[in-house]
Amino acid sequence: MDFKLTEEQEFFRKTITDTIDKIVVPKSQEIDEKDEFPWETWKEFTSLGYLGLRYPEEIGGMNADKIMSMIFYEEIARGSVGFAQSVIMNILMGTYFIYRFGNDAIKERCLLPAMRGEKIATMCFTEDQSGSDLGATRTTAVKDGDGWRINGTKMWITNGPICNFCTVLATTDPSKGLKGLNFFLVEKGTPGFSSGQIIHKLGCRGTVTGELVFDDVWVPDENFLGDELGKGVYYVGDILDEVRLMTGAMALGIAKGAYKEALEFSKKRIAFGQPIGNYQLIREKIADIDTSMNAARLMINYGAWLLENGMDCRVTAAEAKMYATEVCLKVVDELTRIYGANAFAYEYIPQRYFRDARFLLYGGGTHEVLKDFIGRMIIGKI
Amino acid sequence: MNILVCVKQVADTEARILLTSDKKSIEIENKYNMNFFDEFAVEEAIRTKGKVKDCQISVCTYGSNKATEVLRTAIAMGADKAYLLDNNGYDIEDPIITAKILASFAKTEGFDLIFCGRQAIDDENANIGAMMAEFLNIPHVSAILKFDVLDEKKARVESEIEGGKEIQEVQLPALFTTQKGINEPRVPLITGVMKAMKAQINIIDPATLKDLSKGMIDESASKISVLTYETPSARPTVKIIDGETPEQKVKALIDILKDEAKAL
Repeated sequence: MDFKLTEEQEFFRKTITDTIDKIVVPKSQEIDEKDEFPWETWKEFTSLGYLGLRYPEEIGGMNADKIMSMIFYEEIARGSVGFAQSVIMNILMGTYFIYRFGNDAIKERCLLPAMRGEKIATMCFTEDQSGSDLGATRTTAVKDGDGWRINGTKMWITNGPICNFCTVLATTDPSKGLKGLNFFLVEKGTPGFSSGQIIHKLGCRGTVTGELVFDDVWVPDENFLGDELGKGVYYVGDILDEVRLMTGAMALGIAKGAYKEALEFSKKRIAFGQPIGNYQLIREKIADIDTSMNAARLMINYGAWLLENGMDCRVTAAEAKMYATEVCLKVVDELTRIYGANAFAYEYIPQRYFRDARFLLYGGGTHEVLKDFIGRMIIGKI
Repeated sequence: MNILVCVKQVADTEARILLTSDKKSIEIENKYNMNFFDEFAVEEAIRTKGKVKDCQISVCTYGSNKATEVLRTAIAMGADKAYLLDNNGYDIEDPIITAKILASFAKTEGFDLIFCGRQAIDDENANIGAMMAEFLNIPHVSAILKFDVLDEKKARVESEIEGGKEIQEVQLPALFTTQKGINEPRVPLITGVMKAMKAQINIIDPATLKDLSKGMIDESASKISVLTYETPSARPTVKIIDGETPEQKVKALIDILKDEAKAL
């Protein structure tokens, strides 16, 4: 067993930490307060090339291994989770199917500009009545000549209102349930494709999240993203573990930022003549935070290692996502206790971590769904 | 043109630093950075490379294996080659020996231009650059704020002096130390980061360098030895002066200055 990062991974960790500290951290409070997409920060950060993190070097990517990807997700979420959501959407879910199934022209038109930050990508799963329950997807794609006609409305779409293109999950045969699901590329400017309501969120502000409407949208056959019809749900399975580990890493990132605040505050806040970090009840909180964060990181790294080595990590990924998120919620809660009443004021940072952490409960699967999945996988069919 | 940049890995300003029980050395939490002033040196070298033909930047540090991290950072920013002058087995605290090692490396490789940071933010000695230049018998200017290569043999530099600035023309080869304000160090592109991750770090035993031997650079050669490290004394507690009006507060302050602090 070797738990040590390689020299390359360690160097990457240091470099991305410094980069986030220089470019994202100074803007994090402003991004949250304005709740607008931070175009300037986006341009500055994406010009460095990180959006190609997981794609091959031949097309301008970095070909990062899964451990490095987790380091990246953790660090950018530490900087600003609102900003991180938009960045990670371009890196992972928003471009995954384009890279895997898009033809050369589509890659040239969508993937490469998205890797440079010139185009904004997104992925549309969720609808008003379906999230974890993909079988309830009501958006339809019906064969029409040399293409497909798409109708439906998607909700909770990260980057949705500002995206240049999206990968849409639609059913080509509602009678087949999950086996009728497929993915299609829809680009901005396609007749019938528009953005609807913007959702004003409790946290993760700065990411524009909203509704996308597909009203008789026709796309050519080349926009069908898959090898054969009806395999969409299997393709989801291929990326789901990485998405869950990524969500766990983001939770760890928020927790890391909150932990740093808590630690600094416990050293400088004087009560009854001494820093509060000298009191046992505060030390207990710090000890619990540190212990649980280390455990969460080990789970995420183990999952990333399984994924990197092509091994089954379905249970580990679900457990890591769930555990890291619960740890994050605990850490931000403890921060607000250590910080005292100022944590309740918008002028101070803790409330931002407290709000941001809530969103990770839902992305990558609710914990109720994940627990059921984990239990089912362990017990098996009786 | 061959440019050498000398860098140092220093403790992060947020790193936890503890004294050992004998107070003769310090334990630093595993958080290190490139020395603040050295980042300007690397950046200036990269900018100079952009202005002259056939230019190559080498970066070197005298330090432990851990210090390869700062060499990789320099490569990620745009340096071409990296050299670790491995301090394993040479437990010295004497800046003149460090300068001698760096100068000997520079002599071995041969450089037209050398940049160093103005000073290291850990020991604040600010003497390595100047001593290196002396060992190399080349001119040097400290704490420069502007640098221009005029041709392969000359450079013009600006530095701050009391009440104004000094502009000097310097014959190359020469050594310059960089001051905050000379440039804005770049954030590495991912292509640079990838190059840095794969870069080969050349590791050199300083004793094998030109005109050096083990006896000249080990502990026995050092003319400085650390007796003890001391932590800064704790700051006294703040006293809030009571009083309803400004006049009452001033009166109370004067009483304290007279009676307690004995300052008046």
